[in-house]
Amino acid sequence: MTGLRRALGLVAIEGIVVGLVALAIILSSDHFEERGVNAVLSLFIGWSWIGVGLFAWWRRPDNRFGVLMTAVGFAFFLGALSAADATWLFTTGVLLSSVYLAVFVHMLLAYPDGRLGSQRLRRVVGAAYAVAVLGPLPSMTFATSKELDCGDCPRSGLFIADDPTTFRVLDLLVSALAIGLVGYVLYVTLSRFRASSTSQRRLMAPVIWSGVCLLVVLVGSLTTMAVDGPERLGDLMYFVSLLLFAFVPYGFLFGLLRSRVLQAGAVTELLHRMSEGSDRSGLRDLLSNALGDRSLQVVYWLEDKRRWVDAEGRPAALPADDDPARAFTRVEREGRAVGAIVHDRSLCDDPELVGSVAAAAGLSIENERLQAQLRARVEELRASRARIVEAGTAERRRLERNLHDGAQQRLVALSLTLRVAQGKLGKDPDVAHDLLGGAQEELSRALEELRELARGIHPAVLSDRGLEPALEALAGRSPVPVELAGTPRDRLPPAVEAAAYFVVAEALTNVVKYAQASQARVSVSRSNGHAVVEVADDGVGGADPGRGSGLRGLADRISALDGTLELRSPQGAGTLLRAEIPV
Amino acid sequence: MPCTILIVDDHPSFRASARVVLESDGFDVVGEAADGASALQECCRLRPQVVLLDVQLPDIDGFDVCEQITSHLEHPVVIMTSSRDSSDFGPLVMTSGACGFVPKAELSGERVQELLSP
Repeated sequence: MTGLRRALGLVAIEGIVVGLVALAIILSSDHFEERGVNAVLSLFIGWSWIGVGLFAWWRRPDNRFGVLMTAVGFAFFLGALSAADATWLFTTGVLLSSVYLAVFVHMLLAYPDGRLGSQRLRRVVGAAYAVAVLGPLPSMTFATSKELDCGDCPRSGLFIADDPTTFRVLDLLVSALAIGLVGYVLYVTLSRFRASSTSQRRLMAPVIWSGVCLLVVLVGSLTTMAVDGPERLGDLMYFVSLLLFAFVPYGFLFGLLRSRVLQAGAVTELLHRMSEGSDRSGLRDLLSNALGDRSLQVVYWLEDKRRWVDAEGRPAALPADDDPARAFTRVEREGRAVGAIVHDRSLCDDPELVGSVAAAAGLSIENERLQAQLRARVEELRASRARIVEAGTAERRRLERNLHDGAQQRLVALSLTLRVAQGKLGKDPDVAHDLLGGAQEELSRALEELRELARGIHPAVLSDRGLEPALEALAGRSPVPVELAGTPRDRLPPAVEAAAYFVVAEALTNVVKYAQASQARVSVSRSNGHAVVEVADDGVGGADPGRGSGLRGLADRISALDGTLELRSPQGAGTLLRAEIPV
Repeated sequence: MPCTILIVDDHPSFRASARVVLESDGFDVVGEAADGASALQECCRLRPQVVLLDVQLPDIDGFDVCEQITSHLEHPVVIMTSSRDSSDFGPLVMTSGACGFVPKAELSGERVQELLSP
């Protein structure tokens, strides 16, 4: 900031020096009429633009509007060279005397952030600079001092011949070009002003309106001169436009001050109304009124979930940094993020206003955050409860299907085989013997399937003997070698034991199905009032937590016990499934 | 001449047992199908006199298959079967165009013959 101040200070000194040089040139001119008035007016206009421009530059260093205003001031002083009596200084001064208008057009078109948003606008600004410099060329090449109504002016350094016809034709052409250009700039400026946000209008309205008036008068003045209208009307219009031009920077200053007054008013009203208490839409409305942005939204930061939610506790997303329409301002309390105000990007031009409102609303947003946190938790519980019910129904469907397709079909076939064997006993005992052998095998398979099914519902060994034997049995049945690293010495509550068992069962199923692991390691321990279950493998990693319903079902089951389930599975570095369940 | 029959069921173990039971009771099992679509195809190709049709098939519901088979002018007799009880299906067996229902565990040539007799 100090660096910027120093640089701006230097620019200010340069502005003073350039202004004084312009003053000296005008006062010592032989051909300028009313030198005193002209000198004072020039100094007033140039310094006004440079001063206010530097102020804007200092207040909004990221916005190039201030830079352009300062540039307008410097460009205006270039015109003072036309007061010089030396031929080439005079010629250069006349050629550059309208450049300040091109910079002014540049500034208007670069509204509101000081940057030209499109190739089309850059072309228009390029054309404005070209017309400004080339405009006086006909008068410098084909007109005498008499035709220019400047009897004592030095002869132009570019004078070719006294050719009034060519001069008039070229001058008309340039004027027509300038009128067309200014008309187009007016159209673009007004369209963009209409499309801008309330806060931008608040700040920029005086500049834009005085700029528009100036351009209108300029068009009038150019037209009068082009159609060879009354000389006094042309002079009057020129004088009015100069006066308007002088007051444009003060318009900007007025806009800035008004914005600050309104900002203070908005913050005071916000504080007052918040002290009266408000519900959740009330807070949004208060902020929306204070910032003049109807599309404003408030989101809250849930530290434990590491995510943003809306007032209802539903997940919300912040706009991206390069979002052209939306932006956000973080709200912090005691260095901690509590929420964010999502607003129109145009409000970024007025960071102090948004910052003051964010600071004023901090406590209310913190309170709302707690409410949103609660609602998020309720929403989560509701969703998890619905999933548990759905999982219960799906589980019953699966059991029915497994029973029907497995054991029931085998028992049906067995029944049929036994009936046929019974019929063969007397007349064909060998066939009957074979059929009975087949029936025995079918019965064994039916029994095995029933055992597997029963174990899936709830392993008896878990209830009877505890977690360790149940996990040992699970490890023993796994095709991938499993190391059982440890289990708690004392029994855990039945619900916790069951949850721990199914975490291990699901994890081992996934290891076999997806991990391509050579071994897995299972451990269950007690730590800080929690049962900690860990299943790690040395497989390919990259497991997707959303894959299948198994992990989600487990997460719901653990969540119902107030526990957490975490999956770490970096690509190529194995997978770790870790559950923490309060005991 | 033995009565020709097509067995439609998605469980191979049942199809094998049913074939043994029905053949030992004098039926001529001319084909088997594991789902509704192939049941309809095999019906047209083999023209059996009887179709033993499971209710629960992986593609088309057994009752719908029965309706499609019996919608033709000259169609085989359809006997529905399931490991569930007929009471589980309410009036569906009668409205689907089937001639009757045999629980899988009670399947025998005799039961089929009883349903075929007018």
